[in-house]
Amino acid sequence: MSYAPSPAALEKIEGTIALYPEKPAALLPVLHIIQGESGFISAAAEAWAAAKLGLRPVRVREVLSFYTMFRRAPAGRTTLQVCRNLSCALAGADDILGLIREKLGIGPGETTSDGAVTLVTAECLGHCDHAPCLQVDGVDHGPVTRETVAALIEELKAHV
Amino acid sequence: MSGLKRVGLTIDGLKVQAAEGTSILKAAEQAGVVIPHFCYHPALEIEGNCRMCVVEIEGLPKLEPSCSALVREGLVVRTSTERVREARKDVLAFLLAEHPLDCPICDKAGECRLQDYYDRHGLTASRMVEPRERREKKLAIGRGLILDRERCVLCTRCVRFLRQMPGTGELGVFERGLRSEVGIFEDAPVDNGYSGNLVDICPVGAITAEDFRFKTRAWFLARKPSVCPHCGRGCAVTVESVSGYPLAKGERRVYRITARENPAVNGFWICDLGRDGRRDIDEGRHARLMKAGVPVAGLSWQTALADVAAAIRTVPGPERSAGIAVVLNGRLTCEELALAKRLFVAGLGLSKVYFADRKPGSADGLLLTAERLPNGRGVLEAGFAPRLPALDEIAAADVLLVFGPYLSEHLAEEALAKAWAGIPSKFLFSAHEGPLDRLADIVFPVAVPAEKSGTYINVDGTRQTFAQAVKPAAGVAAESAILAGLANLLALDAGGGDAR
Repeated sequence: MSYAPSPAALEKIEGTIALYPEKPAALLPVLHIIQGESGFISAAAEAWAAAKLGLRPVRVREVLSFYTMFRRAPAGRTTLQVCRNLSCALAGADDILGLIREKLGIGPGETTSDGAVTLVTAECLGHCDHAPCLQVDGVDHGPVTRETVAALIEELKAHV
Repeated sequence: MSGLKRVGLTIDGLKVQAAEGTSILKAAEQAGVVIPHFCYHPALEIEGNCRMCVVEIEGLPKLEPSCSALVREGLVVRTSTERVREARKDVLAFLLAEHPLDCPICDKAGECRLQDYYDRHGLTASRMVEPRERREKKLAIGRGLILDRERCVLCTRCVRFLRQMPGTGELGVFERGLRSEVGIFEDAPVDNGYSGNLVDICPVGAITAEDFRFKTRAWFLARKPSVCPHCGRGCAVTVESVSGYPLAKGERRVYRITARENPAVNGFWICDLGRDGRRDIDEGRHARLMKAGVPVAGLSWQTALADVAAAIRTVPGPERSAGIAVVLNGRLTCEELALAKRLFVAGLGLSKVYFADRKPGSADGLLLTAERLPNGRGVLEAGFAPRLPALDEIAAADVLLVFGPYLSEHLAEEALAKAWAGIPSKFLFSAHEGPLDRLADIVFPVAVPAEKSGTYINVDGTRQTFAQAVKPAAGVAAESAILAGLANLLALDAGGGDAR
């Protein structure tokens, strides 16, 4: 397994590294560029980024796995993010996750077998006033109920 | 330390003086007040993540971690108030909420901080009703180390050690919050010459050594200090053994060798080569006298020594210098070397005194030296000019006395056998089995350094005296006893007075 970014992404990465006095400081933006191009960050890409920035691959893995918005496996065509932080948890996020499992057969971190939908959980989407909330490809929905989520899933199934 | 300003503070009512820049935890320790801690280690960067060491400081509203709070003039610190004790209880309750409590099968039991602290500072019943998280319990992370993520308290001592000491940094903390876990990156395992220290510094049973897992319990082990004989550094080690040697088949005598603190030599660490030295103590050992390659039951080394003395006597005085050859080694203690000097050089007037030792390896720039003998400086100090003998120099002798099995590392076995065949009397004094065994008339089983007391001088000239850490088997003698016995039989002065 090996990784190499496209010439365009490489140029972007090198331009980004040049913005910082210390190479390792560019880690987060570099990971975003890689994910932006590939859709996810593979172990080979982690090792590539580590070498590029003069870090140990372990350090890249620490950062990458700390943030929930980085993906380490290819995602489906649509990403469903369900918040499960305090406000949403109290307002029934677990119930929503249960419903999604029922309808799509996937749990957090999993992708439907047809590659259509990836479900992830998020630690606060910034919409506590609309709890429980979720995002479909970055678009906010909330407050959601079992009914609205069921409708949303039907819509996803039809269009994705 | 002497150049630093000293400040005065009060810890638990004691007036304490400490150098500026010292942490409260360290200052308390110097004053005899022990503050419990998991993540703090005197040799590692302060991280302050475990919160076990919090103390009350007068004038501050919150409890402060004493590992990172520094001493200041006039501070009033209290380490065991109700508030502090409650805080420790809470820390322990959080750690134990996720702990598997598998102490009965955990190798750390008996020397585990979590166990000890629960006993001293916790003693609360669990309030958890939820099932515990299940995590990886036997993840091989390289070098025979096994990681148990259920037992891990995420103190990051292992992570910090690998980044700081060997500088290899194979471990990291992945994920976050409840899901945090220590791990290696993909298939890049822990792979450095100091990996065994991870087991020593893990405050719980999260990192254990395959070599020690499920073999015995910590409380069965007698811990005795010794000095590592595997290179010229002379690191301080603890030899952990059970008594009752020789043992039934399959059992061990020395279960492990651990690092002992010595700021002057090795700090807190030892290398894996030295740690693996437990095999040197127990494996491939001669336990009985051998004559013509066959073990002889019931024959004592004292009796057999008469044969050596008789052989020496067959060489007339004026011919001894050329007729008797002796091969010594740098594993002998200073005391034994002084004895050897008196006996062979001053007493018998020998000129053919040679040295054979382990071949040098490569130094790692940390603790391990290229020299693989513990007392190279001691050999020089005793007045020897160590030199490996040439094959014909040995072959020309009438009597040959060889200490240690190391000649065969330098000379081809076939050539050695040919040369030895022409020597009328040859004796081997060796702790370990080797190719020389079958060549010698008599093989005397001798003690390894851990079974001896004496002095080594390390590569930096540091003189270290050590006591016997494990008892040798019944028929095994230290070279000091053999040399003294030989001097006695030959009616020569062994200088018992100054050579101990």
